Amino acid sequence: MRGPQTIAALICLCLCVGCGSPAGRNELVQDQAGLLDTGQRGRIELFHTLLRDDFDIDYRVVTADGEEDIDALSARLFERLGAGELSSSGLGLLLVIDPVQDRVRLEVGYALEGSYPDAFVAYIEQRQMVPFFRSGRIADGILATTELIVQRAQRAAKNAGLAGEVWLEGSGGAGASTTAHIDRGPIEPVAKTTAVQTVGASPAEILAEYFKRMQSRDANPDLNIYTPATRQMLRKWVITPAQMDNIVKTYRNCDAQAERIDASGRLSVIRYPVRQRKCAPWFFVKINDRWALDLTVMQTAIRFGRDNSWHFELGAEHPYEYAFTDWSFDAYGFPRHE
Amino acid sequence: MDSKDRLHRMEADGILTPEQAAMLRDSLEWGRTEAMGIAGEERLRHRKTLSKWLLWLMAAAFAVAFYALVIGPGADPQTPQDVAAMMNQPGGIGEMNKGFSGLLAIALLLIVPLILWALLHNSLVNKEESVFKAWAQTESNLERRADLIPALVETVSRYLRHESETLIAVTEQRSGDSELKEVLDELIAAQQAISELAQKGNGDIVESEADLAALYAAQQSVGRRMHSILAVAESYPQLRSSDQFLELQAQLEGTENRINVARMRFNEAVATYNAAIRKLPGSLIARIGGFNRKAYFKAEDESHEKPVLEFD
Repeated sequence: MRGPQTIAALICLCLCVGCGSPAGRNELVQDQAGLLDTGQRGRIELFHTLLRDDFDIDYRVVTADGEEDIDALSARLFERLGAGELSSSGLGLLLVIDPVQDRVRLEVGYALEGSYPDAFVAYIEQRQMVPFFRSGRIADGILATTELIVQRAQRAAKNAGLAGEVWLEGSGGAGASTTAHIDRGPIEPVAKTTAVQTVGASPAEILAEYFKRMQSRDANPDLNIYTPATRQMLRKWVITPAQMDNIVKTYRNCDAQAERIDASGRLSVIRYPVRQRKCAPWFFVKINDRWALDLTVMQTAIRFGRDNSWHFELGAEHPYEYAFTDWSFDAYGFPRHE
Repeated sequence: MDSKDRLHRMEADGILTPEQAAMLRDSLEWGRTEAMGIAGEERLRHRKTLSKWLLWLMAAAFAVAFYALVIGPGADPQTPQDVAAMMNQPGGIGEMNKGFSGLLAIALLLIVPLILWALLHNSLVNKEESVFKAWAQTESNLERRADLIPALVETVSRYLRHESETLIAVTEQRSGDSELKEVLDELIAAQQAISELAQKGNGDIVESEADLAALYAAQQSVGRRMHSILAVAESYPQLRSSDQFLELQAQLEGTENRINVARMRFNEAVATYNAAIRKLPGSLIARIGGFNRKAYFKAEDESHEKPVLEFD
């Protein structure tokens, strides 16, 4: 009896293997083109797991090897990988990056078409992802775009929610594709005047000038509204049009409090009420009798949570602590109350 | 804004001539009815008749089976029954089983083919419905793109007009205007061709190779003309880098991709259905049930090139 039993068991095993999911069906990241290292892949997987936990969106990333048209490939992969299956409401997104054809496509499932229209997808690809890709920062481009996807999900969740009443599995070809411009080098900022009249300008006026520059998408790092250290830092940064739009949009509804100048009269802080949690404070230094925006502290001491609430990095030291002595902070550095 | 309102506004502002506006308005009305077409309605009537006959046959077969299994052949209640003859004896089959087996065999000979018939017929109906569903999806995406035409024409026209008032030389604006007018006339003609073909009804058009090839050519032509309108903007860096233009371009490309995906799925559904009605025993049922071969939505000599227009 052992013979037939063994054969039956082998047949069952073969059937189970044959009927199971295709290889990598539920993997969040499939790097077939080898664009990501292990750490970057892990970071993307972590972010996309959090996106699923918080908003029930199943967001997959695939890097492809350029054998097929990216639009047709994305529709086919969406179905083959079952994007949206890891979401209880069938909310699926699939990002396909093809370095050979130098194309990128974000495919949007039926259930998310209302929340992520084609125009929005084209915007985040061209105004957020591609500037990072130009500098060869593939993982950063993916994650920076995920941030905008999260922000939109937050807004949608506040209103009617992400999923419509009726949803279908799969994708009908929604989304957008664009040239990825991988490693083509950053676009130099359009030469605009770097000299702004800052003599006698208050920190609030410097900040207003900064917002004006962001509104006109002027990423010039050499503006004299920045401190020398900030200029040096900004020259190494990728500042995307979408990030600049985002700053303008976020601070449009923030009610700035009175400037808080330190005893020496050399430092200043503009902060916002604690309840406006997305409005992080701004820091200024007086150099040669002119106020300048110090964004280096934003880089070292300010962090943002999953809901975009700002908090201080625990243990980070900075000279602007004097401006927050009347606030208390929780164990994670989030301001609690005034 | 509704496409009709937009057309009224464009006509009032002189962007479209009254003739162009009227033609465009008519062509946007295409395919919004659920018309099945003459052949489709005839086929539906034929299938209803066939279903009635099938139901009657099945009812008769079940009646025979019920008689055989439940009631059984009647016997004179006054005559004592020879139980021994009815029972199976060693080496022989009793009278009861002979009668029972005969009736059961007749019933099974009627029921089994009918059930098989019904199953195969239903499977073909499902496959045909998948074709119609995939076609409806394709049509809805073609309509979606048609709705973009007024917005696209208006954005580019208004920009050209604005530029003429502010920055560029009048000659350049005139050249852009005449180019736009020429493309617009061609676009309206191609959209009208789609509209006329769509009037034939879904049930008919999916069975006509010629109509679907003509529709495919017309929809390709509309796509090319819409891209030509986008190309007019190529001479105007400010327009092409604007978010409004990016949005229009994204909507147009998104809709074209939806059309391609829907077309691919329609052709897959057609391939599955056509194979089913050609293979035995499906071909027998298809012939009697009026299941006709469906056409593929592609050009006779299909080119895989698609128009690509991208601005940095």
